[in-house]
Formats: sequence, structure tokens, C-alpha cells
Amino acid sequence: MEAQNLPDDFGLEVYETLKYIIDPEVGINIVDLGLIYEVSLTDEGVLAVDLTLTTPGCPMSGTIRTAAEQILLKRFPTLDVKINLVWSPPWTTDMISEEGMRQLDGKM
Amino acid sequence: MSTATTSNSPGKWVVLPHYAFAALAFVALSVLLLFSTDAFNGHYFHPKLLTLTHVAALGWATMLVFGALYQLLPVVLECKLYSEKLATIAFGFLGLGTILLAWSFWNFELGWPMHVAACSLVISFILFNINVVQTARKAPKWTIESDFIVTSAIWLLVTGLVGLLMAINFTMPFLPVDHTHYLKLHAHIGMAGWFLLLIIGVGSKLIPMFLLAHHDETKKLNWSYNLINAGLVLFIADHLLFQTSLLPVYAVVVIAGVVLFLLFLRDAAKTRQRQDLDLGMKQTFVALALLLLPLILVLVVSSKLGLPQSLLSSIYLVYGISVFLGFISALILGQTFKTLPFIVWMHAYEDYVGRFKTPMPKDMYSHTLLRWQNISYLLGFILLIAGVLLRNELIILGGAIGFTITSLLYTANVFRMMMHKVHDLKPFTYGSAKSA
Repeated sequence: MEAQNLPDDFGLEVYETLKYIIDPEVGINIVDLGLIYEVSLTDEGVLAVDLTLTTPGCPMSGTIRTAAEQILLKRFPTLDVKINLVWSPPWTTDMISEEGMRQLDGKM
Repeated sequence: MSTATTSNSPGKWVVLPHYAFAALAFVALSVLLLFSTDAFNGHYFHPKLLTLTHVAALGWATMLVFGALYQLLPVVLECKLYSEKLATIAFGFLGLGTILLAWSFWNFELGWPMHVAACSLVISFILFNINVVQTARKAPKWTIESDFIVTSAIWLLVTGLVGLLMAINFTMPFLPVDHTHYLKLHAHIGMAGWFLLLIIGVGSKLIPMFLLAHHDETKKLNWSYNLINAGLVLFIADHLLFQTSLLPVYAVVVIAGVVLFLLFLRDAAKTRQRQDLDLGMKQTFVALALLLLPLILVLVVSSKLGLPQSLLSSIYLVYGISVFLGFISALILGQTFKTLPFIVWMHAYEDYVGRFKTPMPKDMYSHTLLRWQNISYLLGFILLIAGVLLRNELIILGGAIGFTITSLLYTANVFRMMMHKVHDLKPFTYGSAKSA
């Protein structure tokens, strides 16, 4: 199984879809929070997403992982979706996007 | 796909009954306070004050800490809770012990009900210790937070054992010195060994997490752990064996440990990405500010300053109030709204996320009730402290009313969350995704 480069618009669509998943504690979507490390598509039609969490013991791990899987399956029903929970490199606040920082500043 | 395989969280029936019991205990505590305004004019060894203290320490604070810890232990230690069954049994014994003990103190019935209560509590603490230690043993790495949490559980058991000995001593005297001597030991092991160490252990992980702060330096926490335990052990040894006049020195050692924890939080806060604080976090910082009061008062009560006896008695009472109804209660009133909404949300919506638009945890409680809860709490606390210092029953009653309002607002919000039902979810329609 070999990963291939994602067509630009497809990759964008995956990230846009994942933006529907909001981290319930922070209130920012998981893409802008910097939790998505990598997205790839294999020749066999497996859409793989490397996802991390803000802390290894996060109680929302199952919920966020399932949410990402469910939403991608719904958006891309012909693909197999595989969500890999990864811890390396550890998530830091430097990974929050500019948009995420803007949202954080305007929150609450 | 089941989420059970990827989440370490325990079932909701392990955690939620603790929150429900604690909320009702807080209401009971406040109502009892309304009928205890006459008890604050003398010594702290008074049936009504003993009732209030134990309802606060056990039914309110320890009950909530147990429930929250079963949820947070997997977060802090990064592994599943050792046994949900043990947790449920410990809940039963803690509930039974608290109710019986409160009844015994209020009626000053020192016979078998108090013995059964004390035994129930010790059994509960033993089961809790087994659960905490075994969970910590499964943790992928041993951290300073593990040290704090495991040690606090051991101190809780020691507190319970001293309490059990005192309960037996009421009817079958065997202890060589009078009760107040052991009461000081019992109270300080509970306050510094159990509550303080536990709050630091969990707080040092959670508060930076809630602030989105990354701060991995643990040197201050290591020293905080060493100093608090050293101060406590020295105090116990001195109090039991030597009775020197070095108590203020031990107090300073413990205070230095707490200050290091506060400095750790300050360092973490400097790196935080979240600038605005929600009401739960604001209340948490109020609690940390209130922590300064018992830190100052412990120096006053441990030093021989030659204060008039009546003033000293009032200061002793304010000291106890500042710990249980000040720091600890303020912290619970804030942190409940950082933990419970997520627990309820997770169990309610884990099967819907990613397929339907779901509300956020912060939408599950009333922010208006929470705001008024925080206001009435602070007013109630200030009035109670002022009333006790001035020995004015009317002002104390004002404080008790403040606490009663606070407890009702808190309980209304807690039950509102716990009775939350999923309804009318709309499936996602794709367009341009916006953050909440």
C-alpha cells in the first residue's frame, strides 16, 4: 500500500471537512488547533489521517477520533478511512494556526 | 466504531453519583450553617462545628474529589482506572460514613453510630487507596503528579485512621492526651496531606492544560512536594513526641512548598495561549487567591503571639473556614464547570459527533446561574469571615444565606447538566466550515 500525493483540491476538501470537528474544551476546530499532522491517500483508496491530541491522557481521545472517522466516511463514502492517533512530535501551542490564534483571542 | 477502546474514561455511573451527592451535601452544609450561627462564639470543638466541618470535608469536598479523580486520574496518569467496581463500593461507604458521622456529631451521639461511620470511612479510604495505587502502577511513566496523587491518598487514609481512633476514644478512652491534641493532627493531615497535595498534583496538570500553556519544567513542583511532606512529617513527629515551639518553622516549610506551586502556575500562565478566562477558570483563580488566607493564618495560629483567647478562638475558626469554605469550596465551584460538562457531553454525544451538529459542553449549563453563584459565594464567604471575627450572629447569618443561595444555584446547574437529554440533532451539511 503506497501513499500518493493528494490532489490539491481533494486535500483541501479533507481539511475543510475535518474543520467541522470542534475540540469541545478549546472550542476551536481540530485543523486550526494543529491536531492534524498528515493526510494521505493510498492507491487502494485508503484515506489515512495522522491525528494527535493536546495531551496524551485526553479524555476526548475516543470521541475526537471517532468524530474524524465518521465525518470523513460520510463525506467520502467510497474511501476507506483510517485515523491514526500519533504522539510524535508532541503537540505544542506553536502548532495552532493563525486562524486558530485569532479565534482564541476572540473567545469567551 | 466504539470509543471505549480508545478512551480511558470510566463509565458515567462511576463518576456522576459523586457529583450529585456532593452537590446535595453542599446544600445540606449550607442549611446546617443557617442553624449554627450560635456555634461560632467559642471553641472549635463544638458539635455543630464538628458536623459542619465533616459534611464540608467529606460529603462535599472528598466526595467530589473522588468522583472528579476517577475521571481525571486517567488524564493525569495516561491509563485506565484500575477498578470501576472498587470506585462504586468506595462511594457507598463514603456516603454512608458521611451521613452517619454528620448525624452523630449533630446529636453528639458518640456510641455505635459514630464507630460504624468511622469504620465505613476508613474502608472507603482503603478501597480508594487500592484503586489509586494500582492505577498509578499501570501508568506508562511515573511523574511528579503521580507522587502528589498517590501520597495524598495515603495521607487521606492516615487522616481516617486517626479519626477512627478518636471516635473509639470517645466511648473507650485509651489515648494518653485530650481530644483537641489529636484533632489538630487529624485536621492538618487532612488539610495539607490530603487536600493540598491532591489539588497540587491534579492542578499542576489541569490548570496549564485549560490555559493552553506548555510548561514542562517540574523542578518547582518537585520541591513543592518535598517541602509540604517534610513540613507535615516534622509537624506530626513534633506534635506527638516533643511538643517544641518550632510549629511556625514547620508551617513556613509547608508554605514554601505551596508558594513554589503558585510560582509554577505563574510560569505556566506566562506561556498560555488563552488570554480570556471563562467563569470556571476565573473562579479557580479566586480560589488560588483565597489560598493566601489560610497560609497567613497558619502562621498566626502556630505562633505564640500572646493574642487574647477570644480573638485566638475566632482566628482558629476563620482558619478552618478559609480552608474548607474558602480555598477548597471556591476551587470546586469553579472546577466543576471545567469537568462535569465534558463528562456529561462525552457520554451523551460520543455516538453522534462527526455525523450531527452537537452542542458544546459549555452550552450545557446556565452561565447566568454560574455568574450569580460565584457572586453569592464571594459575598457569603466575606460575610461569614467578618461575622466570625466580629462575633456577630446576624452577619454570620448573612454569610450562611449567601452560602445557601450559592449551593442552590450550584446544585441547579449540576442537575441541569446531569439530566441533559439529546434531542433534535441536525446532520452536517457541507459548506464552509466555521469554528464554534
